[in-house]
Amino acid sequence: MLALNNLQILYDRAIEAVRDVSLQVPAGSIVALLGSNGAGKSTILKAVSGVLYQEDGEIVSGTIQLDGAALAGSSPRAIVQKGVVQVPEGRALFGTLSVEENLLMGGFTRSRSESAAGLERVYAMFPRVKERRSQVSGYLSGGEQQMVAIGRALMGDPKLLMLDEPSLGLAPQIVETIFDAIISLNKDSGLTVLLVEQNAQLALQTAAYGYIIENGRIVLDGPAEKLRANDDVQEFYLGFSGGERKSMRDVKHYKRRKRWLS
Amino acid sequence: MDFLLLLISTGLVSGAAYGLIAMGFALIFKSTGVVNFAQGELVMLTAYISFTIYSTFELSFFPLMLVTIPISMLIGLVLERVFIRPMLGEPVFAIVMVTVGLAVILRGITIMIWGPDPFNFTAGLSTNVVYLGSIPFYPAQLYLIAALGVMTLLGWAFLRFTRMGIAMRAVAANETAALLVGISVSRIHAVAWMLSAAIASVAGVLFAANYKLAPDLWFQGLKSFPAVILGGMDSVIGSAMAGLIIGVIENLFQGYIGQGLREISGFIVIIIVLMVRPYGLFGSKDIERV
Repeated sequence: MLALNNLQILYDRAIEAVRDVSLQVPAGSIVALLGSNGAGKSTILKAVSGVLYQEDGEIVSGTIQLDGAALAGSSPRAIVQKGVVQVPEGRALFGTLSVEENLLMGGFTRSRSESAAGLERVYAMFPRVKERRSQVSGYLSGGEQQMVAIGRALMGDPKLLMLDEPSLGLAPQIVETIFDAIISLNKDSGLTVLLVEQNAQLALQTAAYGYIIENGRIVLDGPAEKLRANDDVQEFYLGFSGGERKSMRDVKHYKRRKRWLS
Repeated sequence: MDFLLLLISTGLVSGAAYGLIAMGFALIFKSTGVVNFAQGELVMLTAYISFTIYSTFELSFFPLMLVTIPISMLIGLVLERVFIRPMLGEPVFAIVMVTVGLAVILRGITIMIWGPDPFNFTAGLSTNVVYLGSIPFYPAQLYLIAALGVMTLLGWAFLRFTRMGIAMRAVAANETAALLVGISVSRIHAVAWMLSAAIASVAGVLFAANYKLAPDLWFQGLKSFPAVILGGMDSVIGSAMAGLIIGVIENLFQGYIGQGLREISGFIVIIIVLMVRPYGLFGSKDIERV
């Protein structure tokens, strides 16, 4: 459904954030994009949503295609209307608006009746959000805010939902609720999901396919089970160290790490 | 006692003008983050245009406003398109400087077209004194206070219940998130300028009807600044209330302390407000979760 081909992104025409990134998100699947801080994950999502210009970012080369048609260059509004909606990092709710107003704004590109139907769907999915509907969203807990953020994105009736670190700063139990919701959206409604995460364990359990990005480049990709079984992924992302503690003087280990970074 | 009542009532009248002008400031600041220094000039320009329409067609007040408001909105839209839209993405300070330049241009154009001499402009309102209790009012004074009430109510309902109004608050709360849900931020900016110009025209016509129509009308824009800051910059309703408060304070200073203090009393209030409540009486503190 979504395809990035050899994407290169510069900030301020000088700083290269993403280089030669190609990835595919097939319709109806969950694809994970993993990487550490500053690897370029959020930059890729911003490029897809068309909001790079706000931070003086620019797609220098490469293409972004949705179902074979070019997506880059469309306005953020047009991209939402085409069904590509992002849940931004750190929730980014409209803090001074009530929960329901936040959700209604999610349906800004849809008609009034579609919005009303969407509101009912979101409330059915997250009963906690319904209880809090008239509260000012800025005062909700982190987990509730994440639910509102996902609900707000769903109000746009997306075909492809892009989530930017939905587990960030949340308690494990809440994370589980949120990921269950994502999985059921995918299974029951056939929603395509691009999941950006630092939490590799969680993401590789949820997704069918994964890409690992470091310093703006894809260094590894494959089906989730294969990635989970990969030694390097186990060590650097899943936190397994093969039984014993590694010493920093271990040259072989150092070399392997180095390969990851370059 | 009568003296006090008279001070308060005339204070409410000039305060209503401040309130209306401050609402225009707040509306633009809230949704675009720009302090529009040309707001006073917008008030002046729309008042002059209304004057020309009035002297050509001899309309009474309500039909006059019905013609003036759409024209003002059009002017607001054109100004936004021509001067502000190309600056999108530039630092806010640069945009503010553009509005300062715009202010000078509008002032120059107004004097060029209508000349420097003041006009009497009744805006189709009668000049017979009416008494409310023991206090005498000109109809124009009552219209000004009523206009503030109506505009406040309309503004509140717009921001609270309409899609466009909620979207305006959403853009103020988080511009990137607004883009990500498909709100066209540039369109919201244009709407803010149009509505602000509409409010400016109401303020301009009624202010001119109360005092006179002269090229120094733009100065009311600066004089409304204490109200804007007291209201908290981004609170449309708050600015309206703050306008009334500043108007009354100014009159009380003038009546009981001294003539010269009228002009500076508002700015004394600004300094105190900025020290005690930097976000104003009604402005929003950033919501921060701890």
